Amino acid sequence: MATVTVLRNPGMTATLDEYDPGSSFCELLGNPENPNQDLTKLWHRLQQMELTDLAARAKDAERELFMLGITFTVYSDRNAIDRILPFDVIPRVITASDWALIDAGIKQRVKALNLFIWDVYHDRHIFNDGTIPADLVFGNVNFRKEMVDYDPPAGTYIHVAGTDIIRDETGRFLVLEDNSRTPSGVSYVVENRHLIQRAFPDLMDGFAIESVSDYGLRLAMKLAEVAPPVLTEAQIVLLSPGVFNSAYFEHIFLAREMGVPLVEGRDLFLENDRVFMKTVAGPTPVHVIYRRINDDFLDPECFNKDSLLGVPGLMRAVRKGNVTLANAVGTGIADDKAVYAYVPRIIRYYLDEEPILPNVETYICREPRALAYTLDNLDKLVVKPVGESGGYGICVGPKATKAEIDECRDRLKKDPSNYIAQPMINLSVCPTLVGDAVEPRHVDLRPFAVTGRETWVMPGGLTRVALPKGSIVVNSSQGGGTKDTWVLKADGVAKGDDR
Amino acid sequence: MTATLLSRHAESSFWLARYLERAESMARILEAHSSFQRGRDGQSWAWIIALYSDQNDFYGKYTEANAANVISYYVTQLENPSSIQASIRAARENARALRPLISTDMWTQLNDFYNRILGLGAGDFSENRLSRSCDTIKRGCYAEIGVAESTLYRDESWPFFRLGLFIERADQTSRLLDVQFAQRATGIGSYAPEQQAALWNALLRSASAYHSYRRVHLRGVDPSDVARFLIFDTRLPRSIAFCAGEIQRMVSQLRGEFHLRNAQRAFERVEGFQADLQMAAKNEALLEDLHGFNDWAQRELIALTAELGTAFFGHPLETASPETTPTHTKPSGPGGQVQSQSGSSGQVQTQA
Repeated sequence: MATVTVLRNPGMTATLDEYDPGSSFCELLGNPENPNQDLTKLWHRLQQMELTDLAARAKDAERELFMLGITFTVYSDRNAIDRILPFDVIPRVITASDWALIDAGIKQRVKALNLFIWDVYHDRHIFNDGTIPADLVFGNVNFRKEMVDYDPPAGTYIHVAGTDIIRDETGRFLVLEDNSRTPSGVSYVVENRHLIQRAFPDLMDGFAIESVSDYGLRLAMKLAEVAPPVLTEAQIVLLSPGVFNSAYFEHIFLAREMGVPLVEGRDLFLENDRVFMKTVAGPTPVHVIYRRINDDFLDPECFNKDSLLGVPGLMRAVRKGNVTLANAVGTGIADDKAVYAYVPRIIRYYLDEEPILPNVETYICREPRALAYTLDNLDKLVVKPVGESGGYGICVGPKATKAEIDECRDRLKKDPSNYIAQPMINLSVCPTLVGDAVEPRHVDLRPFAVTGRETWVMPGGLTRVALPKGSIVVNSSQGGGTKDTWVLKADGVAKGDDR
Repeated sequence: MTATLLSRHAESSFWLARYLERAESMARILEAHSSFQRGRDGQSWAWIIALYSDQNDFYGKYTEANAANVISYYVTQLENPSSIQASIRAARENARALRPLISTDMWTQLNDFYNRILGLGAGDFSENRLSRSCDTIKRGCYAEIGVAESTLYRDESWPFFRLGLFIERADQTSRLLDVQFAQRATGIGSYAPEQQAALWNALLRSASAYHSYRRVHLRGVDPSDVARFLIFDTRLPRSIAFCAGEIQRMVSQLRGEFHLRNAQRAFERVEGFQADLQMAAKNEALLEDLHGFNDWAQRELIALTAELGTAFFGHPLETASPETTPTHTKPSGPGGQVQSQSGSSGQVQTQA
């Protein structure tokens, strides 16, 4: 590839000499017509690093993650095994102008989705003119009748959003998925940055990178904005399912960074429809609950009766306005994969604006024409079940065997409305350390948006990388790893924050 | 944030310290006994089982109380909640629950220690290597308690940590003192006088008290003096009186500095314990009913733990009935019942 040849140092072999992104857009090379000087600087710096040194420092970094207990838990038959999420030391860089687009696009999307959820649980205008089929929302398992006519403070339902963004071979950013319930992964964003700061100060030197370390502080401030009116300072808590949850590390991280108690359902109770936590000094009032428990398990009086993780009667306190849940109950209607297909229309409907970040083209298989097209083009399309997450149940047509395609066809015919189909996007790649070589691997990006009265988007996000060669599935449960994500400052001046 | 400590976190802090102290004490006892045992007949490992009243459980699993079996039972048997590995695992589980409050240094030290100790197998505790492995365990516990001392934020979790530490230590010292009773119970009561002296020597050493004792008692090792030293000497960090003093200080701190009204009953109980301890110090014939004394001390500590449970940890009142608690009930706590497999259930701790 021409760009790579230009960047090669004649007469010497170096780290990136064998690197070839092929037809994919490369995050480090950027746009070949309009090279970015910071990206070029990082390229040259990587070129000068010894591969063996890079590999040795990468090993140390992973060991450090394990020691720190920055792990997720995998449950096998008898044992709980703590694993680290594989971490790749070569950062993914986002230029200031690209970030400005992402930032504006996410704010627009979150705003529209919050207006949409309000409408769904109040006047239902959007269904009157047929913009969205009503049964898609009201027949959805994530629709919660308990939320009808409830007014959340500031009209905010989605306080924390994780928007999955990909880049096609032209470098265009596309939204792949909205996560509006309890998106996870933000702890890795901050920990990855700290790790790079400790292990690769020489790599960061001279770059002006936006800071990610104040996420907890910002989150606590945003949640205080939506607290019920209280005389004293609002008491925020983080509600976790407990130490056996695979994301327990992240709950610890967030509670520590926010400076709030990490509680479990059994630490809370209701009295007169108010929420209290049990402390050594007796009951203490709670005003905002950042909950990392799904709707189903929150309140056994309303939802799953067998849940031991929740707080009986919690929804009564919510509906009386005595406590604010973040995210609100019932946001699942906005991140369903079928509703996703309508988000561009939702944006136009409520904001009268064109979407800043486009969707990936999506065929909704509940619609007969889309189903027919999908069945005819299974070998070209990615078919996804609408109700699953974590990359389960996906059929990637161009990479599937004939048997897999046949099996997918059967499933589709049996239950078409459970599926959507999308063209296979040639995801962008990043140079990634694989064994003792640097090779291109596909990546996506999950920025985190925090909304109280207004929305703030943490500059950066979780870059997930599909480690198996050629794989486009970045989920951690499917062999995905993570990278540090640098958003470069617009004025290009290193101000010392995160260098 | 001015939020007060969650009851659950207070309990985890308490048990984190207790389990560390328990692992350390067990390492001390095994090490001291193993060196005392060298060159003597192989039968007397049985009294350790008697010391912890584990006869039923032990003989349900093994037929013979030989060195290998006793060591395996108290070191690597994860099903035995008072084994060293089970204690360290329980300490780590409590630290994990407490992770939002403890320092990163405290967590990484314990996490590393846990990974090392749980990686040890039977071979590391063969009689030849027992001493070295016990030493590793003691050092790991010292290190963790030391990191807590230098990094833990001094909110209410600190007095609870110290209470766990000293209640467990007092309990362990009183058990150690019960060695004669345990011997009689296992039919070993007939040591020759010089062997008895060697045994009391070993006891002193297992409490790291031998040289301190030498400095105070210039004559030889006298059983009554040793017992009194280990019970009443307020300068000896492992004596029952020393522990009682620390316990009293911590409970006063909860009541005073932290204004926890619920501490009043615990405070009165500790005052009573101190007064009774002073009475016992005047009893010339203490050695003759040492078992009765130890029994009383252990019952008091169990009652105090129950009082902390109802006052601070959110336990229902009816569990606080120490008078009906069997004498040799092993104090065991939340982490002891940790099941690594409860899936999504949040129940880390079930109460003993």
